[in-house]
Amino acid sequence: MAKYTNYLMLLPGLILCVFFLIIPTAIILRIGFSESVSTAEFEIHGLTIENYVKFFTAPQTLKILANTFGTALLSCLICFIVAYPFAYFLTFHVENEKLKAYVISLLMVPFLIDWSIRTIAWIPILGDKGIVNSALMSLGVIENPLNLLFSQTGLHIIWLQTYILFMEFPIYLALSRIDPELIQAAKVLKAPPHRVFYEITFKLSLPGVICGWIFVFVSTLGDYLTPGLWAGGLQTLGLSISTYFGKNVWPYACALSTIMVVIALVALYILLKIVDIKKLIYES
Amino acid sequence: MGGIPLGKAIVVKNMVKWYGKEVLALNKISFEVDEGEFFVVIGPSGCGKSTLMRILAGILDYNSGELYIQGQNMKDVPPHKRDLSLMLETYAVFPHMNVFYNIAFGLRMMRKDKEYIKRKVKEALELVEMSGFENRSPLELSGGQRQRVALARSLVIEPSVLLLDEPISHVDYMLQRKLMEDFKILHKKLGITFILTTHMQEHALTLADRMVVMNTGVIEQIGTPDEVYRTPKTVFAARFVGDINLVPGEVVSKEEKEYIVKTDVGEFRSLSLNEDDLVGKKLAYAIRPEFIKVDNDAKACENKLKGKLVRYYFFGNYVECVFAKDNVELKVAVPAEQAIKLRFDRKYLIGWRSDESMLIEKPSVIEGLNIEDVIYGK
Amino acid sequence: MKLNVKHLPSKIYIAIVIVIIYLPIIMLVLLSFNASANVTFPITGWTLDWYIAEPEPYEYGSYISVLYDQSFWKALTNSVYVSVAAGLLTCFIVTMTALTLRRRIPGRDILFYMILLGFIVPGITLGLGNLLSHRLLGLHLSFWTPVMLDVVFAVPFGLVLMMARFEAKLMEYENTASCLKANPLRVFRHITLPLIIWEVICAGIFGFLLAWSEVIRTSFVIHGTGVLSTFILMELQINPITTKWYAAGTILTTVSIAGLVIFAWILSRETARK
Repeated sequence: MAKYTNYLMLLPGLILCVFFLIIPTAIILRIGFSESVSTAEFEIHGLTIENYVKFFTAPQTLKILANTFGTALLSCLICFIVAYPFAYFLTFHVENEKLKAYVISLLMVPFLIDWSIRTIAWIPILGDKGIVNSALMSLGVIENPLNLLFSQTGLHIIWLQTYILFMEFPIYLALSRIDPELIQAAKVLKAPPHRVFYEITFKLSLPGVICGWIFVFVSTLGDYLTPGLWAGGLQTLGLSISTYFGKNVWPYACALSTIMVVIALVALYILLKIVDIKKLIYES
Repeated sequence: MGGIPLGKAIVVKNMVKWYGKEVLALNKISFEVDEGEFFVVIGPSGCGKSTLMRILAGILDYNSGELYIQGQNMKDVPPHKRDLSLMLETYAVFPHMNVFYNIAFGLRMMRKDKEYIKRKVKEALELVEMSGFENRSPLELSGGQRQRVALARSLVIEPSVLLLDEPISHVDYMLQRKLMEDFKILHKKLGITFILTTHMQEHALTLADRMVVMNTGVIEQIGTPDEVYRTPKTVFAARFVGDINLVPGEVVSKEEKEYIVKTDVGEFRSLSLNEDDLVGKKLAYAIRPEFIKVDNDAKACENKLKGKLVRYYFFGNYVECVFAKDNVELKVAVPAEQAIKLRFDRKYLIGWRSDESMLIEKPSVIEGLNIEDVIYGK
Repeated sequence: MKLNVKHLPSKIYIAIVIVIIYLPIIMLVLLSFNASANVTFPITGWTLDWYIAEPEPYEYGSYISVLYDQSFWKALTNSVYVSVAAGLLTCFIVTMTALTLRRRIPGRDILFYMILLGFIVPGITLGLGNLLSHRLLGLHLSFWTPVMLDVVFAVPFGLVLMMARFEAKLMEYENTASCLKANPLRVFRHITLPLIIWEVICAGIFGFLLAWSEVIRTSFVIHGTGVLSTFILMELQINPITTKWYAAGTILTTVSIAGLVIFAWILSRETARK
């Protein structure tokens, strides 16, 4: 195959990346180091690290970072704990192939309903007059309604519903690709069930697990809407970014955005140390 | 650029192929294949045979060297423009087409008309004894049937050269024999050049007009099966083609036409065919199992030793007996009637004539190996 | 379908998780018939008004029934256009890139990581960055901007999924076809494409799905009525939240389920044919 055809085929992907990914990120990077940006003629003024200094010396910074990072991690953990058994049972304990396909499709339906509507639909469940509270109150467990909705609990439940598909699907794919003969071989080699699971199944599903974690982590990191509306004023980085952007304080907003990208990259790096995705996608 | 030999189907000059930066698959390989020859490439797994085939077909690129097919330089010529056909080790029968469309594929790509295609596919199926299989799906076929479909598919486009990558390697013994016969008959019938790779020497010896022995990216020897069998140029070639006994030794003196070689199990004589002075050299003393006589027959031989019968392998019409002395084991092909009389753990006299042994100087074409390593299989 | 009672606890777990995820949906379908404008219990009465009632002259925004809400339908159709475009484009780019990245060519790793970046960079940054870069380069935001953003995000996902499902055999088939006198284009058409068509379609569907539900990135780069997700978001932030949105949600659910059923039916026809 003529060599240039290869590069020709890669051109669309390349153009996409450069124009809509690299350049915007570079611009954000640059503006993060600027003093001000005039919105009219769009000129970038100044070159300074003032924005970063401001961020790192501000009193709430540590809290914001901890909130952002912490909630993202927590939601990854919650999604993982719920999704892994789900994927495992679906792969190994459901025999009917058709049923598997239906379940996967079922999981996709909520995704097609708009995010906003999906989230407000939690009100009748977690709200003060919602099912949970009404049930608990009528059973006499509590007297006053629990503030489930506008709290971190509500946040994580909503996030679970939103992102579980993305934790579950890669894990499911990874698990279903495991050659059953490997598991047989382990059993024949006298491995007890929990060892078979850990050594063979779990380790082979790691690429899927990592994919899921990356996705959910990055999504929750950047999702400022959900905490903003439903977490009762939890201060996150994403919220700060959107606030400052709304106030047209672009340099600061961009600096914060860059920090967010760096956090995401660090997380990615750590996760990729555990499993080299590249090797599993194609031979190097 | 040197002259391109005419009348050669394939000419390869100094072919070098690296995989990444670490693996040298082909190390300046050069050889020629005549028109209409049955050419066999033999070598252990990983020696580069498949790499070579793919480079010839054009589906793999090479780092440096020259390749000529029918006298034309194949640099930058894509596979679909080369006048050859390749059958891969995995057969690669297209799973989404039935047998007819699989075989017809090449002809369709050559834009032949429907009638022609129909006729040719029918002929091809007859050739591989699979008439009537047109509408079958590959998923319903056995491995052997798929292979024949792949073969028909490669032949129906009437290439000048047919490349077969390990076609006989994954089948049972009976089928191997049958396949070898089929290939030989096919070759004679079609008259085109066949190039076949295998790691089993029996295939090479049976099928080849000429053969090449490869070893980790280099050519150990090229020649007719007879040449390679009777006069192996390196210890590796000797070991790889036909069964052989090899003992490391040193030449102590020369008497007339015979050399006297000192080994761990005694001094032996051997005729030397070339003019070089081998005195003082360390080399391998080689004798094939079929030339060693046992017991009474051994008494008349110039070279003798006493060995204990430690193992044997039954081959039907003969028994391969392994006699051991000190640390050295010698395999002897003993006719069945004689073998019955032998007993385990007893010492017997074995012997052979000097003109039937060989002295092989070179361990291998690969530099830096010593005799012992190659003899005992590093 | 027979119910196999082996591994019952596992199946119960699966059912529970699905129920939890569907709980809000069940709620919204149920409450869409609620006479009260309150989005929560109790149900004061049953009505179809939120779906089809003709709007009174004074009604606005979230009080107009779904059927008569022009801007809602406009946003919906915008969403469809954007998502379909995103799906097709994702499908195209993922296929081309996945097929080429199989081969060992210089710069392969760099490109792979670069594409993966589209997945890693958080939505805000991407949205903000694209907004700013468009202003900087003097470009106007258009229909294609949110499309491209969605594609940037969907391509890495689709790429990893597609490449993970490639078999080594695919290249063998392609090589064989090359040796059978097929030029690269014909190899693609007759061999590659038929064998990966399923993965290609899935990539397209993935692109569609991800684009459809995307709100954050898109919100930066839309103009006009915007797509459904941003439209609803704005509406919910500006106007009071009423039951009308449940009606909208129910319609979306029904359409989605219908779409999936049709899709599953086609799928089962395809696998049955094999």
